[in-house]
Amino acid sequence: MAHQGQNHTTSDDERRQLHLGYMYWANGTHPAGWRYPGAAHEGAFEPDHIVRLARTAEAAKFDFFFFGDRLATGLNYELTNTSVLARFEPFTAASYLATKTSEIGIVVTANPTYFEPFNLARLVASLDHATHGRASWNIVTGADGRAAQNYSRSEHGDPDYRYDRADEFIAIVRRLWDSWEDDAFIRNKDTGSFVDGEKIHPLNHVGKTFSVKGPLNVARTPQGYPVILHAGTSERSRNFGAREADVIFAASATLEDGVAYANDIRSRARERGRPDGQIKILPGITPLVGKTLEAARQIYDQLNALIILDDDVRFGGREPSYWSLDAKVAEIRGEAVGAGHRNLGALSQRVGISLSHVDIDDLVDLERASAFNHAGSRLLAETDRRTGRGIGQVSWRDLLHTYIVGGHVVVGSAQDIADYFESWFKAGACDGFNVQSAYVYEQLDLFVELVVPELQKRNLFRTEYEGATLRDRFGLKRPLNQFAA
Amino acid sequence: MKTGLFAMTTTPKRQRELHLGLMFWAGGTHPAGWRMSSSKADAAFDIEFLQYVTQLAEKAKFDFLFLGDRLATDPQLQTTNPAQMSRLEPFVSGASLAAATSHIGIVVTANPTYYDPFTVARMFASLDHLSKGRASWNIVTGADAIAAANFSRDTHWDTERRYDWADEFVDVVKGLWDTFEDDAFVRDPVNGTYVDPAKIHKLNHKGQSFAVEGPLNVARPVQGHPVILHAGTSERSRQLGARDADVIFAGQGTIEAAKAYYADMKARAVAYGRDELDFSILPGLTPIVAPTTEEAVAIYDRLNGFLVLDKEDNDGEEVRFGGLGRNALRNLTRVAAILGIDVRGNDHDASVPVQVAEQASPEGLALIAEATRRTRRTVGGPSPLLLKDLIYTTILSGAVAIGNPTEVADFIELWFREKAADGFNIFPPYVPESVEAFVDLVVPELQRRGFYRLDYSGSTFRDHLGLTRPENRFVAKDAAASSKVA
Repeated sequence: MAHQGQNHTTSDDERRQLHLGYMYWANGTHPAGWRYPGAAHEGAFEPDHIVRLARTAEAAKFDFFFFGDRLATGLNYELTNTSVLARFEPFTAASYLATKTSEIGIVVTANPTYFEPFNLARLVASLDHATHGRASWNIVTGADGRAAQNYSRSEHGDPDYRYDRADEFIAIVRRLWDSWEDDAFIRNKDTGSFVDGEKIHPLNHVGKTFSVKGPLNVARTPQGYPVILHAGTSERSRNFGAREADVIFAASATLEDGVAYANDIRSRARERGRPDGQIKILPGITPLVGKTLEAARQIYDQLNALIILDDDVRFGGREPSYWSLDAKVAEIRGEAVGAGHRNLGALSQRVGISLSHVDIDDLVDLERASAFNHAGSRLLAETDRRTGRGIGQVSWRDLLHTYIVGGHVVVGSAQDIADYFESWFKAGACDGFNVQSAYVYEQLDLFVELVVPELQKRNLFRTEYEGATLRDRFGLKRPLNQFAA
Repeated sequence: MKTGLFAMTTTPKRQRELHLGLMFWAGGTHPAGWRMSSSKADAAFDIEFLQYVTQLAEKAKFDFLFLGDRLATDPQLQTTNPAQMSRLEPFVSGASLAAATSHIGIVVTANPTYYDPFTVARMFASLDHLSKGRASWNIVTGADAIAAANFSRDTHWDTERRYDWADEFVDVVKGLWDTFEDDAFVRDPVNGTYVDPAKIHKLNHKGQSFAVEGPLNVARPVQGHPVILHAGTSERSRQLGARDADVIFAGQGTIEAAKAYYADMKARAVAYGRDELDFSILPGLTPIVAPTTEEAVAIYDRLNGFLVLDKEDNDGEEVRFGGLGRNALRNLTRVAAILGIDVRGNDHDASVPVQVAEQASPEGLALIAEATRRTRRTVGGPSPLLLKDLIYTTILSGAVAIGNPTEVADFIELWFREKAADGFNIFPPYVPESVEAFVDLVVPELQRRGFYRLDYSGSTFRDHLGLTRPENRFVAKDAAASSKVA
């Protein structure tokens, strides 16, 4: 943290403002968000549903609207996140949305592991043209290993395989984006000269995984390179992001982790010769907004009451090995935990003590709480932060709910949430947030009506869009063309 | 929600209806269309321009807007086909049109040879939802050998391999579209039931080229299956089209050739157990229409005057990529080869000598007749046919109708009545003006003759084509238990 201060003058800090993205989940991020009274739950294939959310975010001057993606599905998502179970393909949804909006950036997730660089280069480039420079590509290397079975592959590939491929992939894509110089088109009606062949470049790339001749059949785009997003915590992911990404979508859920992660990414970027400020770090967050703190906590409790627990709430009908393995994966991804983990047995694995003699609605007692492991202590503190209930008031059910919901949640009034954002921002843990809604539309509407004005009042967020492209919003220059330079 | 079964038992006897599509090439389908004064030379990446042109077609109640595609380019396309050398990717364009229009079908070209079925299935399914049932997939297997070099392939596969691959690919895509039954989504917030597991199916496809488990992560498309288009004249292409396509996009330039193709394809489809009315055959048609014949011919001449011709001593095989004029030299050398008479070295502006018309080969006579049909200029006539008219005729191949509104409508009516076509994929030689002319002058004439719809009768592309919604293979099979998602 200390060295953060060295890199910004005071006036820089005063000028620096938050960047806000909105992550689209048709039914919200809370596993039971779609069940909340009055919440939208039929919109997954309604284009108007996206438009409604995106226009709300655009009116509030959000930097971007974010489409996630996975290349496989399964019934497990019914409990953990109905928004992921079945949804629009992101390129088509993004292009549709481009026509219905005019300012907001549009982020599309696409996975190099299961794409060809030529196809992806032209999809993203075309989207950048269609949006007049508002496009962004979120590079993921495979969040759902079941994708392999949908793509005629015997295996998903280990992270090294996937990142080796991604490294070569992004280098090819950038050169394809450069293969037409900005002034390659002459279009002289009198002479009939349409292009300048000297300014159209083949790549002739021959690498470990790909051979791509080029040129691309799309003109260089308004942004030169659409904004690159990346998320991840693994070593390879951090290096990839530090080298390639303009925006890092981070998963840190505590300030301490957030600062450590941000410093790590910034120092890796510096090692790669990238100037400070060229990478924006935006942790994902679900702010649960109420008119008052009490109102917000009431909503949170109401949502949690709708979570479907295992039929056998003591043991979930599973062996303990089942709980420990999958729950860890879910925790890393910041996702809700699913069937078979929604019981006291799974909770006991998490907190590190036996819960065989407690009833789910018993209050957590000090004796047992003192014996919690580190994760258990954090869970207890997190539950207190969200619900306002500590030892003497908090039940095992409350802990189980926090455990199931997981993620990065902040519950409170507009002031509380603005305070939270400000503290992260000022501590150097982030350059903004990727905001998600526990359920829609009310949560986004409340955020926009209450939290955004509070951030603006504190001079922490823009009141008008600056510049025309998404790169402009992030203060990023249009990159030089590798072939022209 | 209608189902295929229900519709089949209640639909009254169907009638042949004329269908019109509009092929979108931003600079026009004529290689020099972009040089016309009214054309927008920088239209290729102007999404609002595409939207405007599509809205013109929608106002005229066109069945569809057609977005072609190629997976490679080369600077030398600038003389043969500038509109195809660099342009917007079609899924992105198509989804934009879904937002900018409400009724017109949206045809997106995608090449199985260089895609994965899971990706293609979800993009079309998604586009079909976004457009509320207007998506269509034009299946091509790869016209450009150079595409292989952009996709880490050593060679461009031969036709047999591409069609073996495509046959399996199409089957997988259709299967994936069915993996969610229409009523798989329960979305009951009170009970907490979002989906009915019994109505979500694994595909578990294991074939020669693909292993795809499924299910898709998109709800079943509004149309069940988006409309399938296919074009081609090879044996394998005809098989695929007759078996799988809802619309066949054909390229015959004469009514005789078109009738033969039409009869062959309908017979093949019947042999596959389909009804003749289950699919439409739509040749490409380049219309040049103006209030008078003279004005229309003048436009044709102006367009051709912009063409850059090849040097006369060029008689070699030259590889040219893409569309019109492909593999065809633009000089008298080529004309001489067709005529069977050495006309090389003559002034292009000279008249076609009478002896040439007397001595020409049958193909040469056909070339002369077609040139006369387009220009109204005749060999030895008061307005004599010129040698360059023959060159131009070889360049702009396919069906061409030039004239006043009555003449162009007559052409369309004749081809329809003679069963050379069920309609046309209109190739606008320059854009937007030739689209505006067709929409303003020809469509009302067709409508006046009772020959074309006054309004859309339904909201989906299938509705426009009079096609039923396909059954779900998992429902039809009574859902084998093995296909259920565990």
